[in-house]
Amino acid sequence: MVSIARKNLFHDKIRFIITLIGVTFSVVLIFAQVGIYLGFMQNASVIIDNTDADIWITSKNTPNFDWAQAFPETKINLARETKGVLHAEKFILAWGVMKRKEGGTEQVEIIGYNPNSGMGGPWNMMEGKASDVKGGKHIIMDESAEKKIGNFYIGDEREVMNQKVKVIGRTTGIKSFTTAPFIFTSYDTAKSLASYIAQDNTVFILVKTDPAEDVHEIVQRLKERLKGVDVYTSRQFSNRTRWYWTVETGMGMGFLMTAFMGFAIGIVIVGQTIYTSTIEHLREYGTLKAIGANNLFIYKIIFEQAIVNAVIGYIAGFVITQFLIKGYEKTGLAMIIPNYLIVTVFFLTILMCVFASFISIRKATKIDPAIVFKV
Amino acid sequence: MEENNIEVKRLKKIYHEASVEVMAVDDVSFDVKSSEVVAVMGPSGSGKTTLLSIMGCILRPTSGEVIIKGIKTHELDERSLPEIRNKYIGFIFQAFNLFPALTALENVEVSLNLKGIKGKKAKEEARQLLERVGLKDRVDFLPMDLSGGQKQRVSIARALANKPSIILADEPTGNLDSKTGHSVIELLRDLSIKEKSSVVIVTHDSRIMDMSDRVLYLEDGRLKNGVNAKKG
Repeated sequence: MVSIARKNLFHDKIRFIITLIGVTFSVVLIFAQVGIYLGFMQNASVIIDNTDADIWITSKNTPNFDWAQAFPETKINLARETKGVLHAEKFILAWGVMKRKEGGTEQVEIIGYNPNSGMGGPWNMMEGKASDVKGGKHIIMDESAEKKIGNFYIGDEREVMNQKVKVIGRTTGIKSFTTAPFIFTSYDTAKSLASYIAQDNTVFILVKTDPAEDVHEIVQRLKERLKGVDVYTSRQFSNRTRWYWTVETGMGMGFLMTAFMGFAIGIVIVGQTIYTSTIEHLREYGTLKAIGANNLFIYKIIFEQAIVNAVIGYIAGFVITQFLIKGYEKTGLAMIIPNYLIVTVFFLTILMCVFASFISIRKATKIDPAIVFKV
Repeated sequence: MEENNIEVKRLKKIYHEASVEVMAVDDVSFDVKSSEVVAVMGPSGSGKTTLLSIMGCILRPTSGEVIIKGIKTHELDERSLPEIRNKYIGFIFQAFNLFPALTALENVEVSLNLKGIKGKKAKEEARQLLERVGLKDRVDFLPMDLSGGQKQRVSIARALANKPSIILADEPTGNLDSKTGHSVIELLRDLSIKEKSSVVIVTHDSRIMDMSDRVLYLEDGRLKNGVNAKKG
């Protein structure tokens, strides 16, 4: 069967290219905005998502992981006595300052974990082991920290909060949302580095639960026993952290708006070009009707044009996005394009182009039939 | 006795322009038999094209009847009309109305596709139709690469794709030189005889009179003197 849609598209190459540029631009903009957002969100909850704890106990009204406040560590005893709790550990996140070799200082996020269990400790180890931090004032840093604090090597000595620490490990791909490098160390070292945290306080209590019990029921029991703190499942605390950065700071809305603008720009460009094309081909549509085509036949032509534009524009946009991801990673940030996003943006692009053709559909089906007799 | 392919009875078409009523076709009645070529002549604005549009089920009459192969088309709903056009009517236009992005073959093939003939069969039939109108060696040409006469032949081949009972031609020679125009009308005449089609040609071209079986004169929407003017 002759495809009038494809023949028309490829016949008018300049219009076709303009439309494709519009679709491609939209696809890239949507991928980039959502991908960067997902990258940020992954970093926002990266420690929570990679810690083998089922429940997080935090100070009251802690809005997110990075802004947690200290609370009395005696709560851990009550937690340990709660039915369904296998074990509970203290865990610290504290803000500190590291001296740069070249002079000046850099803010860091100090993570203090129990090196014996490794819960809350680093992963993706390139050099050293998570348990090595217990031998003294030892720290493990991510290679991405080099952008902030300069190159570092195993065995280097650095100064954190005016105390000397030794680098004994290196990880990869562990970045904070705030862009301040994480410094992993033992719980005790973290407490001594962050001396502003009272001696009998902790920042988090991590709980491992009995897999035979429902975690939500254990959360409820902990809430009833522990006053003055909040209790979340890992998933809840991860979502709370992401929600905070997405909604309460307005950051997510910004990304969403830009992604939506990409979608809207796509509709306008595709709509405009398809509409102009429809106007120019009105006589042809009129002729088709005269020789027996019904409205459905005309719809199919216009929708096929929209879908061809969408598919080719999407493929071009996806390829460009792959290059963007590589380029973006060089800045030390992540753009994450999961499979569900690839599929979603594909259907969104089809929807965008089909939606953009509706005005043309109206125009094409309301043709004055006498147009076929005009010279 | 030859059967009527199309009958027009007491046809009226009124256009409403602003607050003024314009009687484009006024009480027109006639019929066209199979293998008959009828020319509709008259000055500009006399209602020729409106009449052709109503006969082709493109426009609805204000009143009156259009009966095609016994089907009262004026009684059909809007959605049934494309099928009538597809099944019984072939159109030929002054401006050819070919699809510029399609080759001659594809232009004809589209019409066959609309009839439900697809794939190789459609291609083969389209090729045969173009051969019949003398364009065997132009099948892969785009309209922009064809002369006016060749374009009109493609248009005729397309009109023939559904083996129509009625061919409605609007100024088919209007954009052609006299020699090419003559050959196009001859082609239409031959086809009407071979296919037993009725051909109705709206034209200003007085030379077509001599090649038609009958001439209808239209003036101010009415058939002149209320009668069909017979050739000769």
